[in-house]
Amino acid sequence: MKKLAFHTMILAFCCGMMTSALAQEQKAAAAQAPAAQPPQETVCFESRKGASEVTKRDLQPGWPNVKCSPKTGAALWYGDPYDGTVPMGKMPGLEKIPEGHAVVKPRSEKLAILPMCATACHNGVGPAFNPPKLPKDKKPIPIPTMEGLLPDAKDLQHGRGRIWCLDCHHTTKRNMLVDNYGDPVSIDQPQLLCGKCHGDKMRDWRDGIHGKRIGEFASTGKKRWFTCTECHNPHNVQDGARNKGFVQIAPEAPPQLPKGMKDAKYERVHGIAH
Amino acid sequence: MLSASALMGSAALMTMSDDAKAATEWAEHFQKNYRLMTDAEKAEARTRLERRYSSEYGKKVTVDTTGPQPGVLMGYALNVRKCIGCRRCVHACVEENNQSRGTRPGEKIEWIQVLRMERGEFSKDKMNQGYPEGLGIQVGGNAYTPAGQVLEGQYRYEPEAVPEKDATYMPIACMQCEKPPCVKVCPVRTTYREADGPVVIDYNWCIGCRMCMGACPYWARRINLTTPVLPKEEMNPVTHYLGNRPRMRGVVEKCHWCLQRTRQGRYPACVEVCPVGARKFGNLLDPESEVSLILARKNVFRLKAELNTFPKFFYFYD
Amino acid sequence: MQQLISFTTDYTRYVLKGGTKFYAWMGSLAVLIVGMMYVFYLQNTDGLIVTGMTSQIHDGLYFANLVFLVGVAAGAVTIVFPAYVYHHEGMHKVTVLGEMLAITAVIMVMMFVFAHMGRPDRLWHMIPPWGIYSFSSMLGWDVMVLNGYLFLNIACGFYYLWAKYTGTKVNNKIFMPLVYISIVWALSIHTVTAFLISTMPSRPMWFHSMMPIRFITTAFAAGPSLIILAFLIVRKNTKFWIEDSAINLLSTIVTWCLGLAIFLTMSEIVVELYARTEHANGLYYLMFGLHGLTNLVPWFWSSVVLMVTSFVLFLIPSVRTNYKLLPILCVMAFTGIWIEKGMGLIVPGFIPSPIGEVTEYYPTFVEVLMTLGIWAFGFFILTILLKGAIGILQGDIKYRGQAVAAK
Repeated sequence: MKKLAFHTMILAFCCGMMTSALAQEQKAAAAQAPAAQPPQETVCFESRKGASEVTKRDLQPGWPNVKCSPKTGAALWYGDPYDGTVPMGKMPGLEKIPEGHAVVKPRSEKLAILPMCATACHNGVGPAFNPPKLPKDKKPIPIPTMEGLLPDAKDLQHGRGRIWCLDCHHTTKRNMLVDNYGDPVSIDQPQLLCGKCHGDKMRDWRDGIHGKRIGEFASTGKKRWFTCTECHNPHNVQDGARNKGFVQIAPEAPPQLPKGMKDAKYERVHGIAH
Repeated sequence: MLSASALMGSAALMTMSDDAKAATEWAEHFQKNYRLMTDAEKAEARTRLERRYSSEYGKKVTVDTTGPQPGVLMGYALNVRKCIGCRRCVHACVEENNQSRGTRPGEKIEWIQVLRMERGEFSKDKMNQGYPEGLGIQVGGNAYTPAGQVLEGQYRYEPEAVPEKDATYMPIACMQCEKPPCVKVCPVRTTYREADGPVVIDYNWCIGCRMCMGACPYWARRINLTTPVLPKEEMNPVTHYLGNRPRMRGVVEKCHWCLQRTRQGRYPACVEVCPVGARKFGNLLDPESEVSLILARKNVFRLKAELNTFPKFFYFYD
Repeated sequence: MQQLISFTTDYTRYVLKGGTKFYAWMGSLAVLIVGMMYVFYLQNTDGLIVTGMTSQIHDGLYFANLVFLVGVAAGAVTIVFPAYVYHHEGMHKVTVLGEMLAITAVIMVMMFVFAHMGRPDRLWHMIPPWGIYSFSSMLGWDVMVLNGYLFLNIACGFYYLWAKYTGTKVNNKIFMPLVYISIVWALSIHTVTAFLISTMPSRPMWFHSMMPIRFITTAFAAGPSLIILAFLIVRKNTKFWIEDSAINLLSTIVTWCLGLAIFLTMSEIVVELYARTEHANGLYYLMFGLHGLTNLVPWFWSSVVLMVTSFVLFLIPSVRTNYKLLPILCVMAFTGIWIEKGMGLIVPGFIPSPIGEVTEYYPTFVEVLMTLGIWAFGFFILTILLKGAIGILQGDIKYRGQAVAAK
């Protein structure tokens, strides 16, 4: 009991360090920005709030990389669809697409905590794990610190309790995901992991039917592919009012009322009657 | 007469270089229908417009005249199950296509409407409501409960967050029909279907009679009731002659699948901005394109298919 | 050539002279015309935003009046037809007056076209060789038949007046074919105008084959009503005597056409409201309102009351031939049809919109003034045309100077 408490404390300490480091980083970034660009910086989110953000800047005079909604802070227009992207990497089924024509925005950038996962805590050598003690199976074990860091982990919704962290995260390389063979997969290519279970969705995604791509529309054109986790929260895909796997967001402003109409109440009265 | 007016226009352009705007407008007034222009006349019209727009909006404005590309037939598909009704497409369209964005009623134009459809509400309390009330001819429970896809024109919803529990959404815009009723009724043939699919308008030839607006079964067309309100800094300088170039007072406009983008191979603005990837665009002649694959694999319907307009805008659901 | 010059000068001189009543009438019309010109200027600088039209309801008063006046123009055939086909004596005398009315109505239609357009400065785009004529467009056809009708009526009417003026005989080899063509043409203008709106499946309220016949019946009720009114005024104010038989025949025509129009309206109501599909929403909006919006309901019912009451009264011979009551009946029928065709046909076609949106139409002062101004302009021309025609018919103006001045 005492040991457990000790472990917890150590973990908590680790995390405390990490969060403060993170916070500092953000502060630094925030401090840097006004220095570089005196006017306020516009940052807008792309697909899902909190999943990926873009900072507005001018590519050419009068030609921004992105336009943002003043109402909701959502990205409304892309001046350069490939801004800040890297090649997607190998993806089975996409061999027809010429080299470099499939690009993604690295997820690792967004997940600031990621580089530390494997060094600060899950390094296999921390003081608590002496000798190194990695889980032998994928059975859920409550880890309070992890839950503190990532509330979704507490009562993991994804899989309704049938799966746990190590079903998706690599056992030893915690900043990587895991594929069918247990091999590590880059966090920028979550589709290789998600496709393990959601094969039909991955097929549709690969063919461009599911998910989002921007850039050139020709089937062999250069596109930025939005990966699974840019739209879905992998820890809680059930988020949202209904089962669309997409979190609720604020809508953009409604259209203007035509001349003479005072409000839009009339449209809630149903016409089909009698 | 035409050559005379063209001459007059060019003469005016040369002599009145101080008042370039008035001169170009004069020449613009007497130019031909875009489809009948020779390549030289198109180039002339293009330079004229680029000059006028650049001085009007204070930045380098380009007016593209790229024609249909061989082997391309544009098609659009929209996943109605995915749409969350966030209206980002509506606003992306406005950012891209230089619509009027004033505040007076009629000065704000949007080409996309996101219709809200009720999921339907059936409950025990409504069991005794019937049809017709009072006469009791067909007394049945839950009469008048709208459910599912009905065109009841609810699109001004304003909830805190979308998607709402009790609603589904169906965005509509121009369907780019293969047999467009709007083209048929145009008395000056200013609106026509391009070889690669989209139905376009030569804004300089439109007389503003609004027959096309009446004929469109999808309510896709808008009239510029006044000179469009388009702030300089918000103006998109990359334009197409038949696409998003700034319009003038009294002409009709509508969605053209972002010709200034799609003719250069890029996705339309609404496709790029849809957060849920419900909007799909591609070449119908390419069996590998996403739209072709959707047609091959998914359940697809066309809106108001009974009108035989043959839209190239398909709705589908997984 | 000299004849032509003297015809023009005599005609102008005759129509410009008149009593105080005449000048007061023309002056008050001129005030409205000036107002119309001002709002037309507004429309062409600010744009159609000064009107109540929106992207939802984009055809309003102008289009409604256009459609109605095409009917009035076509209604002139109710004089020409009995005169030349049935050789009705009383009618034959006044045919020219009907033609003058048709000319006026077509000119008013053209003016409403100008008022309606977003870019009237570009209307030449419709006319070859400068523009393109579209054979697939009903509006193109409508413009063509309207201009044709205008030409036919000017040709027939003024040729007849010319012959009277110069004292020569009408050359029937040229005149009669023109008359017969104009009779058929009159039907065509209203049929094509009906096709203009009834060929749009996007507007279910208009999308039925009954539209042309409904247009024609209402036209042949409204047109002659106006003609009767004009005749009664002419009879009262000039020495020109229009025979009772002509007026009685016209009121009979009004009676039956009004009856048919009511019957057709009733059929439409039964068909639409029995099944009560979504396609009946427009009519339902008109009759009872939709989504709690009821702007047009009073208009519809007043039109019904006016039309039915006047029909019933028209059916009674003693009322029909009472020239004190007849003008009231005619005004009732005319107003009823104007409401039915104008407010009751065009506007609800846009309510609900093809995507089901219900909005309402609020005509602005600009629109009302423009409409009144065009009507005033119409009456202005009509007065001139009728005055001149009557002058010639009566022999007040004649070639070689006899009785140049009126009265």
